[in-house]
Amino acid sequence: MTAESIGVEVDRISKRYAHRVKGEVYAARAVVLNVRPGAFLTLLGPSGCGKTTTLRMIAGYEMPDAGRIRFGGQDVTTEPANRRNIGFVFQNYALFPHLSIFDNVAYGLNVRKVPAAEVRQRVGEVLSLVGLAGYEGQFSGQLSGGEQQRVALARAIVIRPRVLLFDEPLSNLDAKLRVQMRHEIRDLQRRLAITTVYVTHDQEEAMAVSDRIAVMNEGSVVQEGSAEDLYHRPASQFVAQFVGRVNLVAARVLTVAGDAVSVAALGTTIGARAGRAGLAPGDAVRLVVRPESIVIAPAGGADGSLQATVTARTFLGEKIEYLLRCAGETLQVVRYDAGPGAAMPEGSNVTVRFAADAVTVLPEVAAKGTSDA
Amino acid sequence: MTGATAVMPAAGPTGVRRDPVVAAAVLALWLLLGLFVVYPLAMLFVRMLTDHGTFTTAGVVAILTDRHQVRAFWNSLLLATLVGIAGTVVGFLFAFTAARGRLPRWLLSIVDASVLLPLVSPPFTTAIAMIFSFGPRGLITYDLLGLKGVTVYGLTSTLCSEALTYFPIAYLTLRPILAAIDSNIEGMAFSLGASRWRVFRTVTLPLAVPGLANAFLLLFAASLADFATPLILGGNQFPVLPTQAYLQITGLFDLRGGAALSFVLLLPALIVFLLQRYWVSRRFYVTITGKGAGQTPFNSLSPAARGALLCACATVAVVIVYFYALLLYASLVMALGANHTFTLQHYRAIFTDGMKAIRDTLIIAAFAMPLGGLYGVLLGYLVAKRNFIGRRTMELVSMVNYALPGTIVGIAYLIAFNDPPIELTGTALIIVACYVFRYGPTGIRATIALLQQIDKSLEEASQGLGAGTATTFRRITLPLILPAFFAGLGVVFIRSMTAISATIFLVSIGWTLITVKILENITELSLGPAAAFSVLVVVIVFVVVAIIGRLLRLFRAPGAVPMTSLLGG
Repeated sequence: MTAESIGVEVDRISKRYAHRVKGEVYAARAVVLNVRPGAFLTLLGPSGCGKTTTLRMIAGYEMPDAGRIRFGGQDVTTEPANRRNIGFVFQNYALFPHLSIFDNVAYGLNVRKVPAAEVRQRVGEVLSLVGLAGYEGQFSGQLSGGEQQRVALARAIVIRPRVLLFDEPLSNLDAKLRVQMRHEIRDLQRRLAITTVYVTHDQEEAMAVSDRIAVMNEGSVVQEGSAEDLYHRPASQFVAQFVGRVNLVAARVLTVAGDAVSVAALGTTIGARAGRAGLAPGDAVRLVVRPESIVIAPAGGADGSLQATVTARTFLGEKIEYLLRCAGETLQVVRYDAGPGAAMPEGSNVTVRFAADAVTVLPEVAAKGTSDA
Repeated sequence: MTGATAVMPAAGPTGVRRDPVVAAAVLALWLLLGLFVVYPLAMLFVRMLTDHGTFTTAGVVAILTDRHQVRAFWNSLLLATLVGIAGTVVGFLFAFTAARGRLPRWLLSIVDASVLLPLVSPPFTTAIAMIFSFGPRGLITYDLLGLKGVTVYGLTSTLCSEALTYFPIAYLTLRPILAAIDSNIEGMAFSLGASRWRVFRTVTLPLAVPGLANAFLLLFAASLADFATPLILGGNQFPVLPTQAYLQITGLFDLRGGAALSFVLLLPALIVFLLQRYWVSRRFYVTITGKGAGQTPFNSLSPAARGALLCACATVAVVIVYFYALLLYASLVMALGANHTFTLQHYRAIFTDGMKAIRDTLIIAAFAMPLGGLYGVLLGYLVAKRNFIGRRTMELVSMVNYALPGTIVGIAYLIAFNDPPIELTGTALIIVACYVFRYGPTGIRATIALLQQIDKSLEEASQGLGAGTATTFRRITLPLILPAFFAGLGVVFIRSMTAISATIFLVSIGWTLITVKILENITELSLGPAAAFSVLVVVIVFVVVAIIGRLLRLFRAPGAVPMTSLLGG
């Protein structure tokens, strides 16, 4: 349906705003992104991290104060949105309330002076594609949130945009529909192979739809990679905390041997992987351990493993979540192999073991910005 | 949304650029505002403070120390305060009943209609009905109660008449506010153990206080500016400023005295306007979120309270309906109170002797309506969506003629346009201009309000789909503000048919108005034709409002932002 896919290069773009209290603030600071042709990149971050501003600059709704934006190698930095040939899906859908669904979808085609017969055909096709054939005469006010979302999507893709841009498109839908729609969006994007940039603050959604994720914080991209990279090899405490749940345990480096580190934590010695280069013995660090990487068993075996007490236990069906007290620290643990007898009651003593290669060490100083994550 | 928007400055127009079309429109509007708003007011001051070209305060001082005029000043304030209180109470009663009384649909539309009636009537209708009912030969005082030598003229009847005429303003102000108070909040208080009365006293009423203050100020201003009612009902016993200014000019041909009196009126009017606009209207607790209350809203009225409220509202509604029925009856009998034979002679009279007034009024309305509508949408759009130097000032200046009592505007126009360089007295243009700049602001406010409700993402979406600024305006923005245009049209038309306070100074042998004709009829005591004229005006206004309502629905796609009231603002 689309022409040749093109890549999107965002080259150190910045945007400043005057803030009433804080003075001049960077909404985006030297943001660098490189989206391969046909790829799906998600900008993920908390409120105020600059992801929407970055997206709006890619769209041409905002002009960067510095840096360049290139579509397929062609510099579009100074082009306004109406000359960039983009498809933009707004958080509130922004359907024109005075136009029918047909006229909404046909709008971009009419602007491009596409012949009426072709407009009819293409609108019909795209509405079928999003499962709304027969809705042509309706108005946006008569549609459910999910249907409005599909119209917004149809309106964006019918013009065969070079780049498809989404600004938190699912945040107004209920949880079930959100999951369904993100599959549909992913599916459609793969079929049409349109280069896509997607903005969300929901890490699960980001993981579900994207080829690559760029985590943003305070106007900058702090890490870019696949969902697996970000989850298993976070480069900072911020990313570790923002992508998935995590235990951050205070520790001190004992020895460093290349990538392998040995640290003192929880009153014992633990082997881990260095998340950053440049660690030295004596450094204050944090252990990064995912809740599912902690193996617990009823106490009894005296194999020198860590001892802990169960302080809280939450049964959630397919999994059980535990809070443990271990050498003065609180650990979150998730167990999925919860057969009827496997549950450990609150107050019971357990042994704790970290799964091999599951522990990463990050320097303590990287804690900046984690408090509000 | 990400927090990046939190640090963004106020949403600017998309694609800000020096636009020659915008610049030309701004310049043209400033010229018009200068000519028809600033210049007349300046001339009013000049006339007040000069005597044959030399500065003097003697004329002003003479007027302001005259005991009679000082009394008129205090009378005006007293009347405005009482009307403000009485009208707000009645308006609240209706609004509360409509918002919380769980009325069936048909009953609500009856309430709405009976409340709308006084708003679209010519200014003397309730006053005439008061005389018919409570005058020396009144249906109630003389025929029913057999009282003799009753005087209807004075504070009480003026107060009652004005309260009945203006309480709909309070109703229209309060109803959306009460409706927007989430009844779950009341339910919460109730569940905490408060009685219904306590819930009303401690939750509902405090939340409505800004609305009440707003309604009071609007009514205060309306009463302060009202010229027609006290002219008919005030009598010698109860002079007020607008009538005194009118008599000073038409009776004594004292323009400077009239200017001075209207200036005295200006001060409280300005204070009330500024209070209303910049203080009260920023203190609303209730914002309309569009989030509906739960399926089972709290029933905040006990059956007894509901019954009492309904009775009170019904009483007021019955009085209104009775007044209008009486008016219709009076227009169809020889002489109400004396000879009740059916006749069409009053209608024959207004369609022969009065035909010129009818024709003139309709012609003037036909010109003022589209011009006023266009003016409102254009100025509203520029102020809301475009950035130019003096934007806020333009908005404020555009409101001046709307906020000032008509008497002031009328006298200012009379003074400004009577002599060269700009001589407009005796033309239709002066009346049209008066209407456009006095009633066009309703369209401005409606346009600004609509544009504020239209998310800027709509324009961005259009832009993203490849449309330029012009296409976006034509295909997206313009259709969405069309309701404001029609609202502006409606208000300008209604006021063109019913206004008198300003235009009484501007009519001439060449161009006259129905309302002025009604006043002449009343002063000549030919109440039959006056009643017939009033009925005619009510009918015309209702027909035109209905047509505009149809057009509104025609142009409004389902789901588009609705315009709640033709008379809002």
